[in-house]
Amino acid sequence: MKREKATTLYIGPQHPGITGNMMVRLKVEGDTIVGARTEVGYLHRAFEKLVERRNWVQSFTMMCRFCVPEPDPVEESYARAVEMLDNIEIPERAKWIRVLVLELARISSLLLWHAGQGHSLGLYTMGQWSVGDRNYILDLFEDLTGARIYHMFIWPGGVRRDFPKGFEDKVLKTMDYLEKRLEDYDNLLFENSIFQKRTQGVGYVNPEKVIEHGVVGPVLRGSGIKSDIRIDDPYEVYDKLKFEVPTQTGSDIWARALVRRVEIRQSIRIIRQVIEKIPKGDVYTKVPNPQKWKIARGDAFARTESVRGEVGMYVASDGGAKPRRVHFRGAAYVHAVTLLEEVLIGQNIADVSAIMNSLGTCPPEIER
Amino acid sequence: MSFFDLRGTLKPLTSLKQFGKNPHTIRYPEVPVEASDRYRGFHFNEIEECIGCGNCATICMNESIDMIPVEGVEGDKGDSGLRPRIDYGRCCYCGLCVDVCPTGSLSLTKDYIHVSEDPDTFLFLPGIENPDANNRKTYISTKETSLNDWARIPMPELEGKERVKSFAEVVLGYNEEQARQEAERCISCGICTEVCPDHMHIPEYINAIASGNDEDAVRIIYDNNPLPELCGKVCTRRCEDVCAIATRGEPVAIRWLKRYATETADASDVIKDIVNPEIRERNGKKVGIIGAGPSGLTAAYYLALRGFDVTIYEANEKAGGMTMYGIPKYRLPLDSIQKQVDYIVSIGVKIHFNTKVGKDISFKEIYENNDAVFMGVGFPKAWTLGIDGEDAKGSMQAVNFLHMINSGEDVEVGNKVAVVGGGNVAIDAARVSRRLGAEVTILYRRRVQDMPADWEEIEGAEDEGVHIEPQAIPIKIHTDDKGNVKAIEYLKAEMVQSKDGGRPKPVAIEGSNTIMEVSAVMAAIGQQGDYDFIDKEYAEKIKIERGRFVVDKNQQTTLPRLFAGGDAANRTADAISAIADGLRACKAIDAMLMPSNK
Amino acid sequence: METLLEKIKDRVNANFDLKDYKIYTDLKRVDLFFNKEHIPSVLLYLKEQMGFRHLMHMSVVDWIEEGEFEIIFFLWAPKEKVKIFVKTRIDRDNPVMENMDNIWPQLNTYEREFKEMYGIEFPGLVAPEEFILESWSGPPPMRRDFETDKYAKDNFATRPGREDAQDVRETIAKRSGEDIPDFAKKYSR
Repeated sequence: MKREKATTLYIGPQHPGITGNMMVRLKVEGDTIVGARTEVGYLHRAFEKLVERRNWVQSFTMMCRFCVPEPDPVEESYARAVEMLDNIEIPERAKWIRVLVLELARISSLLLWHAGQGHSLGLYTMGQWSVGDRNYILDLFEDLTGARIYHMFIWPGGVRRDFPKGFEDKVLKTMDYLEKRLEDYDNLLFENSIFQKRTQGVGYVNPEKVIEHGVVGPVLRGSGIKSDIRIDDPYEVYDKLKFEVPTQTGSDIWARALVRRVEIRQSIRIIRQVIEKIPKGDVYTKVPNPQKWKIARGDAFARTESVRGEVGMYVASDGGAKPRRVHFRGAAYVHAVTLLEEVLIGQNIADVSAIMNSLGTCPPEIER
Repeated sequence: MSFFDLRGTLKPLTSLKQFGKNPHTIRYPEVPVEASDRYRGFHFNEIEECIGCGNCATICMNESIDMIPVEGVEGDKGDSGLRPRIDYGRCCYCGLCVDVCPTGSLSLTKDYIHVSEDPDTFLFLPGIENPDANNRKTYISTKETSLNDWARIPMPELEGKERVKSFAEVVLGYNEEQARQEAERCISCGICTEVCPDHMHIPEYINAIASGNDEDAVRIIYDNNPLPELCGKVCTRRCEDVCAIATRGEPVAIRWLKRYATETADASDVIKDIVNPEIRERNGKKVGIIGAGPSGLTAAYYLALRGFDVTIYEANEKAGGMTMYGIPKYRLPLDSIQKQVDYIVSIGVKIHFNTKVGKDISFKEIYENNDAVFMGVGFPKAWTLGIDGEDAKGSMQAVNFLHMINSGEDVEVGNKVAVVGGGNVAIDAARVSRRLGAEVTILYRRRVQDMPADWEEIEGAEDEGVHIEPQAIPIKIHTDDKGNVKAIEYLKAEMVQSKDGGRPKPVAIEGSNTIMEVSAVMAAIGQQGDYDFIDKEYAEKIKIERGRFVVDKNQQTTLPRLFAGGDAANRTADAISAIADGLRACKAIDAMLMPSNK
Repeated sequence: METLLEKIKDRVNANFDLKDYKIYTDLKRVDLFFNKEHIPSVLLYLKEQMGFRHLMHMSVVDWIEEGEFEIIFFLWAPKEKVKIFVKTRIDRDNPVMENMDNIWPQLNTYEREFKEMYGIEFPGLVAPEEFILESWSGPPPMRRDFETDKYAKDNFATRPGREDAQDVRETIAKRSGEDIPDFAKKYSR
């Protein structure tokens, strides 16, 4: 067969179908991709460097900036790492509230994924619906944390505030509404034959290699491996909650979509349990005066399950009032670079953004 | 899967049922969305409540808060006079400024819309530019959610029952861990330094303690106070009254932290090692100092460091003045004073003890033989009650009583003592009398809350079983036939609000005469100066008003080369003011005699 | 749990020259310290023989005072559900570490980042020259001696209009005539 001449094609950094400011440099022969390189550098804000100039409390406000659509797992990881370092035991109620926040964040992020996955395949209605519904989750965040996107709510010692009045009812009502809407989503997205055809067999990840690749989250579960930090390495009160970890064996976009379809329902289930079981009490263990809070030399690594998979935070202290090193690891650090570059080979140009959405590429996690 | 999938085509079409429905988030025409009750929007600041501590500006990691002077806010004691201004080009609405605000004046509001083409409008003075935002406050500071530590680390003390058995020191002092924890509460604003008469570097030495560098703390303290252990134990600590944390909690224990730091240097040579002062070469000028009280010792110490030849003339056999002879040893042990005096002597200050000016040496001789003279002579004479029977045996002045006890003399007080007065001297005399085995009642003209004594001292006295009889005005001391005190007669008083708006005045109730049997009466209603030691030719030239030397801002009297400080020159009459006077006089003497130094 | 962690440590110790270790039972974590030349074989052994197949993270910490970089590999055993932190130190002035992206391909990304941010050389690393920083000629910016504050001040202008800001401590000291000695100033806020 005669080889066609390869062309270089740039997708991004500004592109409506991708998940942030990054670029994939493709080598294509016709419509088929024969080489891919992830190019980043558009978002680097040196968060980790800046944190080294801030004290332990000031640093927590920086954490949400690592990931816009789902900031809470990052806040949670940092807070938990600092608590491990300084041996802080947080109140029981704070743990439950944290779980609630994390699950709300999962729902919000999964709704964005619905939008992105639909959008990337030309199904714009999906995005309008799910982003609109996400606003109801953001309303809950606004009521609880005082902010819609960057909540800055989970901090070392617990959470910043307790539930406002009538919050539980509002959460339950929103969950009821959302559950009904999910039926519409099924009809529009998952039952849609175009969606099925465009996703099945596309974006295949070799299941034999996923763990070695450092693949996590729905991508791992879509390859038939049951792995979830909330179960494997439980934190806060996840060991007291009942929920299922869905798996699929297809290892393609479709399989990962089905995994996420179940996950959003599991998050609703968890939130209902939290509202039912949450104990009364304090929400915050007092930490020392921020100006003078010093933590003994040591290090800690905390992991949290986000929608894109496991995120981790490494925090090292030199005994001073500021962190010596804060190093964040997001799922996209692997998914959007080495994994994406491999998965894209042999795929069609038109599927690139669908694949990126499906892998959960999030450039701020690469650059930080 | 066939090319045409009926189910997969029809199912998505069910979304057509949404057709014609109103959009669920955005309304047309647009209705402004009201933010939630916890929304973190623009700031609001209660300008009156704010004390300008700047803790908000310190926590702000985006450097978006400036502290600036604003019109209508006067900086005075307890208020820096500055107020926060927010740069909304940088603010990220994290609300940490609210969570660290000690006064609770700062909050966030529901307001979140500001549109302008002028970038300067994004600099914003909360509370001044949006006074009406008061009722839209959302994210507020409460004591529970605050990041400040409101509660003080309790000071370990001897129990009341144990205390009265001896003159052992009552306050035991912080250990290292307690001191570090207490020091951590400080927010380093420095508001306290303004009310300190001596302007000690309080945030700096507390921070040194918090970071575990006690020696640095000692060095910082000795920068302008050579008697810190004394202050660490008995200072009137006005600094704690204006502590930013005290606006809603217990003030940082500034005095106890100073005490902790100075106690880590437990001997005079250790102090010298740590402070390691730079002593300038002798400049050939001589300074004479009358009185080895706090002001005299301070002037002597810093003058000696600056190369002056300093001699102190002290009437008693020990240095320290009123702090040595007026303050009981359970509050300020002899060692505490002694080691500091030893240290001052060790850097070259000469002290002539048992040398009363006017008797053992004339004022003239000192004045003429020195290039400058400083007087820290204090108020040695006590006021008398001015009632019948005051000259009876067993009736005495509390100051004299304390002097005798502190000199090691035995004083017979019998089994029931009445102390008249409400200041620290009254409390001291009462508590000392308890230690001598007597039952003690304090008679005070006003209410307990009006007593000028430290509340800790009042509480301590009550713990030890001292009875306080407030609103009691003594009118007569009854004697027996041998001339001994038998009883004290007093009138009950009622508090009458004065018409000029001052504090309420006690007015005796006719016919409320009460007679209490006592074996001794001690008057503690104040002291006055005694300036007979000054030769007449000089005394004429020294202006004295209301019993005090008139001095200028350099502590200089109306007689050239003569300076004065301490109780005989200031109205506050406490040790730290005396120390401040001594330091000021030292600087003025240095500037006068060695103009080339500056 | 403690015995499991002990066993892991003992097994590694039997095969390699373990410098030091630390066990955190409640965190299900073992820290193992090695000289840097043992790292590739240790990692391969842990991955292939002991079930630590998942590389959670890799990190570098700049201990500038000690003249060393600390390199840490965070491993996870999905079956035993145990963490191992493999730690080593390399010379800060001559930072060279072996390229190990054949063990875990994702290390390629980490190595690219550390090469750029810390100036650590990974001989044999095949990757484009630039990763995050574009046309950067300054020192590796994540090193502790790179001062972001200074860099920002040198390279970017500040918008005028905020010069009237005052320091609270200085304002009060000035008003009351307090001289804060220089040696004390480092303790000011």
